[in-house]
Amino acid sequence: MISARLIAAARVSSLKSLWQRMTNTRLITAARVSSLQSLWRRFGWIGWVLVLLIAVSFPFLVDRPRFWLPNIGVKSLWLGIIAMSLVFLNRYVGLLSLAQVTIAGIASYGVGYVMVTLGLPFGVAIPAGLLVGTFAGFIIALIAARTKAIYFLMITLALGQVFFSWASQAIEVTNARRGLAPIVKPDLGFINLNEVTAFYFFALICAVICYLLCRYVAASSFGLTLQGIRDSPERMAALGYRVNRYRIAAITFAAFIASVGGVVLVFDRAQVDPDVVSLGSTLDVLVVAIIGGILSLGGVFVGAIILTMLDNFAQDFTDRYMTLTGIVFILVLLFAPTGIAGIGKQVGQAARRLRKNDFSESQSGASPEQEPEATQLTGDAITKGNQQ
Amino acid sequence: MCPELNDNPQSRESGDMDQFLLVALNGFTLAALYFLVASGLTLIFGLMRVITMAHGTSYLLGGYIGYVIVRETGNWILGALGAAVLVSLLGLIIHQVLIRRFQDDQMRVALITLGVSLIGTDLMLAVFGGTATQVPIPQEYQVALDIPFVGPYPLIRIAILAIAIAVGVALTLLINMTRFGSIVRAGVDDSQMTSATGVNVRVVFASIFVLGSALAAFAGVAGGTLFPLLPGQDGTYLLFSLVVVIVGGMGSVPGAAIGAVLVGLVSQFALVYVPTYSLVLTFALMVVVLAIRPQGILGRKSAA
Repeated sequence: MISARLIAAARVSSLKSLWQRMTNTRLITAARVSSLQSLWRRFGWIGWVLVLLIAVSFPFLVDRPRFWLPNIGVKSLWLGIIAMSLVFLNRYVGLLSLAQVTIAGIASYGVGYVMVTLGLPFGVAIPAGLLVGTFAGFIIALIAARTKAIYFLMITLALGQVFFSWASQAIEVTNARRGLAPIVKPDLGFINLNEVTAFYFFALICAVICYLLCRYVAASSFGLTLQGIRDSPERMAALGYRVNRYRIAAITFAAFIASVGGVVLVFDRAQVDPDVVSLGSTLDVLVVAIIGGILSLGGVFVGAIILTMLDNFAQDFTDRYMTLTGIVFILVLLFAPTGIAGIGKQVGQAARRLRKNDFSESQSGASPEQEPEATQLTGDAITKGNQQ
Repeated sequence: MCPELNDNPQSRESGDMDQFLLVALNGFTLAALYFLVASGLTLIFGLMRVITMAHGTSYLLGGYIGYVIVRETGNWILGALGAAVLVSLLGLIIHQVLIRRFQDDQMRVALITLGVSLIGTDLMLAVFGGTATQVPIPQEYQVALDIPFVGPYPLIRIAILAIAIAVGVALTLLINMTRFGSIVRAGVDDSQMTSATGVNVRVVFASIFVLGSALAAFAGVAGGTLFPLLPGQDGTYLLFSLVVVIVGGMGSVPGAAIGAVLVGLVSQFALVYVPTYSLVLTFALMVVVLAIRPQGILGRKSAA
């Protein structure tokens, strides 16, 4: 009966059947897009292998490794690790923390204090730095976990400045403005980290481990609980979860990731001074996270590369590198709140929305499930302040 | 981080009690300055539920503009008014272009204004340089006032304390007594409902934002008269006004006054008795208040 109707409809006018054929081809393209997505889901690891291959071959691709490796490569990696801890907190806990740089700096100071002031080897210094940084994160969590959204942002910012002012004054611990130096890169015997390439690989391994760790934690039952708390703390509390304890644990975990970044940072800079934890460094990491994509753990490295490139090359044609960074930062916030990593999705959604409009003109009831996804991704990129 | 705090007049030969009073007075004049900056921030937050991280930029830019005008004309009041007007115009532009569209998205507004402050810091460094400048004190205020038990005290500090009190009273009256104030209070409680009753809430939002920027710029001229203007102070004053507002309770003008007095007194007394940890103690105050009352001293429960 339906087919009879269809035939009748087709007979009404050839124009209409032409329309239907056109919309049919459109339907096929839509199907292709979604199959592309499932392809990406199934074979996305190939993309990651490609990225990793490029990262591994980076030292052998560039013309001047002595410039590129420390200034772009290693710096991007530790900036990315610190920014990744920020993104982890934002994406899975819904908290935007500006204290991640401070935590990394505390880990750096831990390494510096053990190696320079106490004169102990790096084998003690690195665990000590990680421990001190993670513990500092735990303390910050105890203070700040009761607050949410914009309050959390302000309090972590203020706590970071407390540490900055203390670090610039406490001569007996941090050597005030002059900082702790020199912090020599260790020679592990089989590999000497003083070599530029070797240190780059050390940083790369740290970054990959941190990334996998973040993914693993996010996918664990702990990570799922966190996401539940992010979406509805009241409901999770009603289910018997201790919301605050989970938040504190998550902030402490992110502090550990940031501490790894701090350890790489301190060996890269060969010294630690209050500049590491200044407001400027805090903003640097925030810019990296926003440009790279505040929802993407891997995207931060793209953001970090963009920032270090701007840092190194913008000076050739302008003195106002900070202004340039600020403008890029604002433009990203205005037009692509999901950052570089989200742009592909944003374009795809825009295209799909265009197509959907065509559908609704020609044929009703096409792909209703795509609309909510589109609004969700652009709207909730940055944790909304109004959530309670 | 905050070198201007060491710039306070200190009479060394006086006794303990005298010194105590002097430090208290210094604390109050510093509090006056903090209140001028923070009142704008708290007004904007109270109505619009957004935090402008560019508030310190308004402060420093106001100070620089005031410095230029006072240097050229020699008129301090003209400098203060000119700075307030110019910076509030800039505030209006920022509000209309960058903030208005994201009214409901606090976090994005905070980040966008943080970007604005990044640009502002860099451009001010380019235009006004890295050296310290100070707004010239008007001739007739370059005298010391003899205050009982304290001794000679700069008149300009007393004047700024008086101005801050006057501004505080005026703001309280504006919010509590006028029709505009009642619209603002209605907007604070429920901006959608207020809008439904026929009030153009957008205009109210914009005017409060302009008022907040103007207050910050005025504070910049006052602060630039008391202490030298330096690059980096935009960050410092943003942080101090954040602390003041967090301590006092977000959105409350009397709260900002209480917060400013507490922060001013703690930082000055700490500077005299435990100089190394002055800033740490100031921020510790905030941590203590947060631990006891997360919403601040006069803040509402729902805000936290």
